[in-house]
Amino acid sequence: MRNIDVAAGSRTILSNINLKIGYRELHVLVGPNGSGKTSLLNAVVGIKPYEVVNGRVFLMGEDVTRDPPHVKARKGVVLAYQLPPAVKGVVAGRFAEELARRFEVKKSYVDMLSEILEVGRLMDRYLFDKMSGGERKRLETFLTLLTKPKIALLDEPDSGVDVDSLNTISSALKAVLDFGTSILLVTHSLHMIKLLRDYVNTIHIVYGGTLLMSGLYDEIVPLVEKHGFSGLALRFSRGGTP
Amino acid sequence: MSRDEVLKALSKPSPYGPDVDLNRFNIGEPETPSLDTPGVEKIADRLGIGSWVFKKADYLQVNESIVARSMSEKLAKYGAIVLPTYEALKKLNWVSNYSWRLIEPARDKYVAATHLYGRELGFFIYVPPGVKVREPIYTCLFITKRGYAQLLHNIVVVDDGAELNLVTGCGVPDQPIGSLHVGISEYYVGRGAKLTYTMIHAWAPDMVVRPRTVAEVRESGEYVSYYVIYSPVESLQTYPRVILRENARATLNSVVVGGGRSIYDVGSAIVLSGAGSSGEVLSRNLGRENSAIYARSRIEGAAGPSRGHIECLGLIEGSEAQIESLPEISSSTPEAVLTHEAAIGKISEELISYLMSKGFAEDEARSAIIKGFLSIEEPKLPPQIMEVVRRTIEYIASRATG
Ligand SMILES: Nc1ncnc2c1ncn2[C@@H]1O[C@H](COP(=O)(O)OP(=O)(O)O)[C@@H](O)[C@H]1O
Ligand SMILES: [Mg+2]
Repeated sequence: MRNIDVAAGSRTILSNINLKIGYRELHVLVGPNGSGKTSLLNAVVGIKPYEVVNGRVFLMGEDVTRDPPHVKARKGVVLAYQLPPAVKGVVAGRFAEELARRFEVKKSYVDMLSEILEVGRLMDRYLFDKMSGGERKRLETFLTLLTKPKIALLDEPDSGVDVDSLNTISSALKAVLDFGTSILLVTHSLHMIKLLRDYVNTIHIVYGGTLLMSGLYDEIVPLVEKHGFSGLALRFSRGGTP
Repeated sequence: MSRDEVLKALSKPSPYGPDVDLNRFNIGEPETPSLDTPGVEKIADRLGIGSWVFKKADYLQVNESIVARSMSEKLAKYGAIVLPTYEALKKLNWVSNYSWRLIEPARDKYVAATHLYGRELGFFIYVPPGVKVREPIYTCLFITKRGYAQLLHNIVVVDDGAELNLVTGCGVPDQPIGSLHVGISEYYVGRGAKLTYTMIHAWAPDMVVRPRTVAEVRESGEYVSYYVIYSPVESLQTYPRVILRENARATLNSVVVGGGRSIYDVGSAIVLSGAGSSGEVLSRNLGRENSAIYARSRIEGAAGPSRGHIECLGLIEGSEAQIESLPEISSSTPEAVLTHEAAIGKISEELISYLMSKGFAEDEARSAIIKGFLSIEEPKLPPQIMEVVRRTIEYIASRATG
């Protein structure tokens, strides 16, 4: 992502975002609620009303900024929704099969993810219909990762889930990283980052519509723990270093 | 009922649907039975059943002609009977006990015309007590003649403890035909018996269709119907009524996919007339192009304790289509628990975006959502029939977009 500005309708939400994510890398975008994390992911994928109004999005050198969401997905940029909508009448298992077929992913890979994410029991349910928070997140993570994306954009797979689901989802992320998927993980808490510590390449803090700072796990996590997001922002605005 | 009264009823309009002048249509003359009528093969394809049905159909009527009927071992083995209604009435004297009992000949002009001029064409099916015919029985009623009135009288008797899964396909070739189809259906479900009745309709933009169905379900019996119409018509009006005795159950599913300038007036009514009875009306209505859909449903609580629920959902595509959802619940006993939910909306942009994020192009996403919308979660049909229904819905959804 190069010099990206994001808007929803006439409202500018983020400006001048730069992020470069390499093969098999795990990047984490943290920031408080309302800082623009969801807007960024949606704009990058092209989900209305979010839009990249300036700047470019590249996938392995190719400019994909204006590709519609389904074209991006087919090229390997797949978004996992923070709040996936219930799709009545669409059976999860059939949908998963259809995705595997379209993305030409082997059954063994799908089965592996299904086992890690413990979604077997959800396969005869309608997509996200009457599911608990944890079930929703595990299923959405499953459907996203089973497409074997080049880069998975995961919007808070950890919010509103219990400790078990948190572990489960973290294991799945580790597994797909090992299989060659890059990940941009968005979260507003540090719990999941800690579980993924050994895999994290870079952590970015988004605050007030911009990227405040980026750094390694050992640089960022202690700072966030000490000052919180707003404390860090305050220090930046004073022009000092944290 | 005197013949005069029925004759008088020839000018009696139905309380529902547009009134139609019956003089537009010719009452058919007997003809030589033949399968060589052009277009017949295509009808089966349009119904999503496939032309294999010509070999397998247990009863196939084209216009006036009964071109196939099952004398198959399949039915003989069960002791079940499939006959043209006139033949059943002639050969088996007890059949008259079931004829014109649930439906009043003078009910409206369509019923009257069938009573007077239909010559008891149509199918009669009987399943003896305790016999469970699990394989689906197929009946097909096709029209290939222009400006013709197909007037049918069907009687189905599923005796105590028996089971029948009936699939009926009705249709015309996909071209102008200007004909009338009236099907009078009297269904009797015995004590502890079960009848599932799946009906698939594929008509033409100038067809007039007026089915009339009443089912009586005896103690602890079960009746499940599943009706799909997905072609344009000039007008279609039907309001099947199911009467439930003690502990009897019914689920009436209907799927209306509107198109063209058609008028669909499709209802479902259940009378909870026995203690412990329960009924459900589930309907899905997809309004497209310039179609108008009137989705009626009614549950009457006449005895308690009893339970009834109506779920009527509509989806509108495009600004010209119209859906009116008219659910009614009425009770004459405090012990009937009756509920209804109705909703009409358009395809949610959020759902389309979601599916696009997973690689579906917009029209693929629409088609998947429509398919999901039309799929009723628990239509209470047995698996072998669900298979037929699933194929039909898939066929419809694949044609519903682009
Ligand atoms: N569709 C929208 N139209 C206008 N403003 C929006 C829209 N969606 C989000 N916003 C605003 O953009 C900001 C960032 O929201 P969001 O991206 O959801 O934050 P986060 O995901 O970090 O919690 C918030 O102030 C939110 O109110
Ligand atoms: Mg968010």
